[in-house]
Amino acid sequence: MPYAGPRPQPVRRPRPEDDVTAGVFRSHWSIVPARVAVVTLVFVALGGPILLTFGVSWVLLLVIAVVSGTFAYALPAWWYGTFGLREDHLVVLTGLVMRESREVPLSRVQAVDVVQPLLMQVFGLAELRIELAGGDGTAIRLRFLNRRFAERFRAAALAYAAGLPGRAPEAPEWPFYRLPFLLLLGALTFRVPVLLALVVLFMLATAGAVFFEPGVAGAIVPLLLGLIRYYWGPLVRYTDYYASLSSDGLRLRYGMFQRRMQTVPPGRVQAVRVVEPLLWRVLGVARVEANVAGYAGARQGDSAALLPVAPRHKAFALVGELFPDAEPALVPLDSDRRWAPRSAGVDARLFVGAHGLFCKVTEIVPVERVQSLRLVAGPLSPLTGRVSFEVDTPPGPVRARTCGRTAREGRALLDSLVDFGRRARVPEAGTERWETRSTLGPRGWGGDTPE
Amino acid sequence: METSDATPNPEAPGPRPLTAAFGPPEGTEWQRVSPALALYRRLVLAALCLVGGGVVAVLAYAWAGPVWAAASGAVALSALVCGWFLAGRFQRSWGYAEAPEELYATYGVLVRQMVVVPYGRMQVVDVTSDLLEQALGLATVRVRTAASTADTRLVGLGLEEAARLRDRLAARSESFSTGL
Repeated sequence: MPYAGPRPQPVRRPRPEDDVTAGVFRSHWSIVPARVAVVTLVFVALGGPILLTFGVSWVLLLVIAVVSGTFAYALPAWWYGTFGLREDHLVVLTGLVMRESREVPLSRVQAVDVVQPLLMQVFGLAELRIELAGGDGTAIRLRFLNRRFAERFRAAALAYAAGLPGRAPEAPEWPFYRLPFLLLLGALTFRVPVLLALVVLFMLATAGAVFFEPGVAGAIVPLLLGLIRYYWGPLVRYTDYYASLSSDGLRLRYGMFQRRMQTVPPGRVQAVRVVEPLLWRVLGVARVEANVAGYAGARQGDSAALLPVAPRHKAFALVGELFPDAEPALVPLDSDRRWAPRSAGVDARLFVGAHGLFCKVTEIVPVERVQSLRLVAGPLSPLTGRVSFEVDTPPGPVRARTCGRTAREGRALLDSLVDFGRRARVPEAGTERWETRSTLGPRGWGGDTPE
Repeated sequence: METSDATPNPEAPGPRPLTAAFGPPEGTEWQRVSPALALYRRLVLAALCLVGGGVVAVLAYAWAGPVWAAASGAVALSALVCGWFLAGRFQRSWGYAEAPEELYATYGVLVRQMVVVPYGRMQVVDVTSDLLEQALGLATVRVRTAASTADTRLVGLGLEEAARLRDRLAARSESFSTGL
């Protein structure tokens, strides 16, 4: 579709010495002294007081032994822990005693993240995470890299994943959404649980101050912990949030204490949900979360949110960008409002389910990403005649299902989804090397190929 | 029961809508599993109930008296009797059907499920058979997809039938493969 926004930023061509496609690389050398320093400090802090009873010379002797021992391990471990690109495979060698070598076809990459925790930001270092579909243990983590090197390596890995030569310049990007801090702050505050917790906290603190009653701390502390987890946590994590679209996927940059740069290539988003809590509907904002096959286990909560807070129309515009030539608003929905508003529908491209009386959740699964379908009749179903219908996708926050369908509706949903799935799952619908395919790639991602 | 809702292809009113909803795909029949599955479940259940009930009864006799021992024995026996009759229904509830591009499976007595797995989505197909299953000539085919919740099993197949089904599914998952 034609794109009528700001033009893409021109991309600097990497200088010849920037070539990361050949040769072997290792973490930044500064981690060797850093490791030695950390081990020594821990040793002195834990063992020092006990050893001092034997005299200062003993302490000095043992510290020297610890320093040289750690150095003797850390230096070869750093030197032999290498990685590099061989054609479009990433080869990672680790281990000193047990050599381990992993070779990863980059065409199977699910997502590429550059993460900078606070300490690494201070030293200009970064961590590169390459997510594969296998789940928790299969992500490749390349730690303590120079930040600019990490970005160049990320670009090369994505170019190979797209089926381009690795020295191709990074694809240009189109700005999609920048989250103003005040909107983030306001939206995070303007939620029923947070407002209630703040009110209760204020009342407790007042009561405690008026009656000099320290017992209120027993209620204040858990409340504060909850607020830190669900209010302060997202506030810090999504500060300075910026999303942009490029031909190699959705790029997200966010975070203050932990800078993250996420790239989700096209076709890697398995399912999406748009969540509109009660008070956010007054503001007209929503949150978008997605299932991406690579983000398993603990990283799911960190990485699943594609838009933490965005105007409703932007949220659905993102869904439209993620699933080109599909229109969630046009899917015919079968609604049912006996107990709570609930509706579901299928068209040739999407399964859409919406439910929730207070917190409205819209789940969207593209038909060609459906893993399996499930019709479930519970113990009460023979009496009520109602069944539930589930669409299984790779694990994530989105669980697309619709309950309380009549048996006939449930079976009709299942049959039509089976039928549409057959047409959608053509062999050329795979997502590897998206730049070289006609079915994926720049088509839906912000317009024509870059000049 | 609402009957006024518009369905794409209204079928002739069957015996019950729920049964119709869990019917096989068009042009196929449910392949039922071997009756030896019921025997397998009964043997496992009997071993569990007799051993577990016996141990609990002895402990109850030693610590609480003969009344409690008799009560726990009765509980174990009634569980055995219930399970004995449910095993037959459980075996009859299983069925699978091979549609042109999907595998259908249905199972469950209390919670009845029907699962549809497209051949192109199958990542791993394997056959397992424990010692008792082997003695009864049974095997389990397990189909795994990228969705961790959808670990679909087909239990109580004959050994040769299971091997043939595995080969067919593996071949089709190859030819319908579409990536993740």
